[in-house]
Amino acid sequence: MTKNPEKPGVSLRTIKHSTWCPGCPDHMILEASRRAILSLIKQGYKKENFAMSAGVGCHGKIFDYLNISGIYGLHGRPIPTAIGIKLGNPNLNVIAFAGDGDTYSEGMAHFIHACRFNPDITLIVHDNQAFSLTTGQATPTSQVGYKTKAEPLGEFNQPLNPIHLALSAGASFVARCNARDETHTQKIIERAIKHKGFSFVEVIQDCVVFNLEVNDRDNKMYKLLDKHRDMKMALKFAQEFNYNKVSDKIPLGIFYQKHRNSLNEEWPILNKLVKQKKTWKDLKK
Amino acid sequence: MRLNILIGGKAGQGINKVSGIVSKILINQGYFTFNYRDYPSIIRGGHNFNVLSISDKNISSHESKIDIMIALDELTKQIHKNEIKKNGVIIDYKDFLKFGLNLNIALSGALTKVLGIPLKILLSEVKRSLSSDNKQALIAATTGYNSQSNKYNFKKINNHLSLMSGSQAVAIGAINSKIDLYFAYPMTPATGVLHELAAKQLEHNFMTFQPEGEIAAVNMALGASFSGAKVMVGTSGGGFDLMSEGLSLQGISEIPLVVYLASRVGPGTGIPTYNMQGDLDIALRAGHGEFPRIVASPGDPLESIEITNELMYLSEKFKCLSILLSDKHVAESEFSTDKKPKRPLKINITRKLPGDSIIKSSSYEQDDYGLTTESAEFAIKNGDARIERYEQIRNGCKNFEMIKIHGKKDSKNLIIGWGSTKGAILDAIKGEDFKFLQAIYLKPMSDKIKNEIQKAKNVILVESNLTGQLGRLIREKTGISIKNRILKYDGRPFRSDELKKELLKI
Repeated sequence: MTKNPEKPGVSLRTIKHSTWCPGCPDHMILEASRRAILSLIKQGYKKENFAMSAGVGCHGKIFDYLNISGIYGLHGRPIPTAIGIKLGNPNLNVIAFAGDGDTYSEGMAHFIHACRFNPDITLIVHDNQAFSLTTGQATPTSQVGYKTKAEPLGEFNQPLNPIHLALSAGASFVARCNARDETHTQKIIERAIKHKGFSFVEVIQDCVVFNLEVNDRDNKMYKLLDKHRDMKMALKFAQEFNYNKVSDKIPLGIFYQKHRNSLNEEWPILNKLVKQKKTWKDLKK
Repeated sequence: MRLNILIGGKAGQGINKVSGIVSKILINQGYFTFNYRDYPSIIRGGHNFNVLSISDKNISSHESKIDIMIALDELTKQIHKNEIKKNGVIIDYKDFLKFGLNLNIALSGALTKVLGIPLKILLSEVKRSLSSDNKQALIAATTGYNSQSNKYNFKKINNHLSLMSGSQAVAIGAINSKIDLYFAYPMTPATGVLHELAAKQLEHNFMTFQPEGEIAAVNMALGASFSGAKVMVGTSGGGFDLMSEGLSLQGISEIPLVVYLASRVGPGTGIPTYNMQGDLDIALRAGHGEFPRIVASPGDPLESIEITNELMYLSEKFKCLSILLSDKHVAESEFSTDKKPKRPLKINITRKLPGDSIIKSSSYEQDDYGLTTESAEFAIKNGDARIERYEQIRNGCKNFEMIKIHGKKDSKNLIIGWGSTKGAILDAIKGEDFKFLQAIYLKPMSDKIKNEIQKAKNVILVESNLTGQLGRLIREKTGISIKNRILKYDGRPFRSDELKKELLKI
C-alpha cells in the first residue's frame, strides 16, 4: 500500500464508494464512528493511534470506508485480531467492528473470552439479526419464526441476548445503540473508546433487504438514564428485550460500566509500555 | 564406551528426576548423554520410562538393549525384562521403599554409585536439583549410594558440555531473536516452549499469552505482528489445523508470522504423547489459496536455536509465513552438546507501523490504497507479486544451511532424512560406509538434493511416518522416486542399533 486513500475534504473517510445497499443503516454506523473518532482527535487523541479490525460480512465493509489503520480480518475473528493489535502496541486505540453472524455465531468463543480478559479495546457489533451478505440466513440473534432459504421451516431456536451474555461473562462496559440514532451512537462509541477495558457496543440496525419483519422498531426503543447501575439492575434491563419480535421495550444506552483492571494493568510489561508511551521496539532486550 | 540406562515407573513417581540428576552429573563429568522420554497420556499411574544413553563420545539417540535398569515399580521389570543385556544390572525399588517420596532420589544415588562417581558430586547435585535443603532426600541419596558397588568408572574427562531439550532450545532461539509476544494454547508436545517462555518473560522483557484456542492465538499473533511486535505461535497437529485459515490470512496480508509446529502421532487425537513425522504435508500446504512460505525442520536442540532465529529473521525480511517443524522426539528428548549455536541474526522491523502512519492490511485482495478490490487487474498484479516473492524467498534461504551432509562424504550409499531421525541416523552410521543428507529447509528446497541423489548408487529414505512424506516431496521437486524406504510409524523413535541393522540389510 503506497497511496493515501483519504477522501479530500472528508476527514477519516476514504475515497472508496460505498457498496452497502442504499438506505442501509451501516452508513450511519460508519458516520457515527467517524464522528466519534474525529471528536476524540479534537480532544487530543492522535489519528495515527487509532486502529481497527473487521470481520467478514456487511459490517466488514466499514474497513474500506473509514480511514484509520487496521486489519480486515477473517469472518468471526475481529476480536482476537483486535486484541493482538492492542498487545502489539498497547498505546493504540483499537476498535473491533463485527457482525451478529460474524461474532455471535462463528466467533462466539472470542466474545465471551474478551469479556473475561478485559483487554482495553472496543467492540462494535452491527446487529441486523441476519446473515445478509450471504443472502439472509438466520444468525444467533434472529427471531423465532424467521424463514430463510436455509431455514425454510422457520428459525425455531430462541435468539440469544448478547447484552445479557456480555454482562454474565464479565464485560466491564456494555451498551446498546440504535444505528438510526447517529448522535446517540456517536456519543456511546466515544464513551466506549474512553473506557479503560473491554467495551461492548451492540448496535441494532435494520436490514433493508432481508429479515424485514424486525425492522422499524424505533417506537419501542427508549434511552436508559445515564447513571451508575449495579449488575442486578443491568441484567434486569438487559432482559427487557429478548430479540424476538414480540418484545415490548428496547432499552438503549449504557447498561453497565465498572472499572476492572484491563490486560494493560494486569501485565507488568504492558503497563510499562503504556506508562512510558513506548512500543516493543523501544524496549531494551 | 556406551551404556543405556532404563528408568521406569508410574507417572508421578519422579523418573525424570532420576534421569535429570544423573544426566547433570554425567555432563559435569564430561560425558555425552541422550535422554529419551516415553510416557502415555496419564498424569498419575500407568507406565513411564526414560532411556538415558551415555557415552564418552557424542551421541544423540538411545539403543534397544539395556545395561542398567532402574525399576520404580514391578511393571517396569515385567515390561522391559527382555531388553536387559546379559550381566545387566537391575536396581530394584523394593530395597528403598522406606524412603517413600524420596524413592527416586535413593535410586539416583544407587545409580551414581554403579557408575563409579564420587558421593560428594551426587549430594551437591541432589541439593541443587531440589533447590531446598531436604535432609530426607540427602539421606535417601546416601543410603542408595552405599547400597551398591562400583561397576563402571565414569571419572572426569575433559569435555565441556551442555544439556538441553528441543523445547528449551526453541525458547532460547526465540529469546535470541528478541521475541515480544508468544501465543499458544496448551497442546503436547508444543507446550514445553510455552512453559519455558512463560518462565522467562519477565526476565527478558517479552510476554506469553494463552488465549481461548488456537484460532484466537493465530489471529492475535497476526494482529500483534501488524502493530509492530516480533511474534511466534506454537502448537501441534490438531491446533495447527485450526490455525489454517489464519495462515491463509498471513498469505494475503503479508504480516510476518512464525509458527512452531511440534508433531505427534495423528490423525485425530492419535497417540498424543508419542512421536511421528506425519505433519510435513500440512506444514507445506495448510491454508487455502496459493502463497509463499518457508518450512524448516531442526534435528536437535542446537539446530532448534539457530533455525528459530533464522525463521524469525526470514519472516520479517520477506513478510512471509515460516513454519518451524519439530516433533515430540526433538522437543522432549534431552541432548548434550559440546557446541555453541551461531551468533543470532538481528531482526529489524523497518516496515511502516500503525501509530506512525495509517496502515491497512487485509484478508481481501487489495488495491494500491490498501482497500478491497475485486478487479481482474489487481488479481493478476498481486498474484504476480506473490510469485515474485516465492523467488525472493528461495534466494533468501540460500544464505542458510538448507541441507547438511554427515557421515562418509565420498560414500555412494546415501541416506536421506529430516528432523528428529537425525540423531539415530548419525549414531547408526558411525564407522559405516554411509553418507547422510539431512534436509533442513523443506520449502524452499535445496537444488543440491537432486545432485546428491544423482551422485549416489544406493539411496535410502528414513522417516518416522507411514507414507514417506519427504520422499514424496523429493519426487515432486526432482522427479526421482526413492525406492529404498525405512519408515517407522509405531509412535516410537528409531533406536540407533536397530536402525543400523536395517540400513545394513539394504
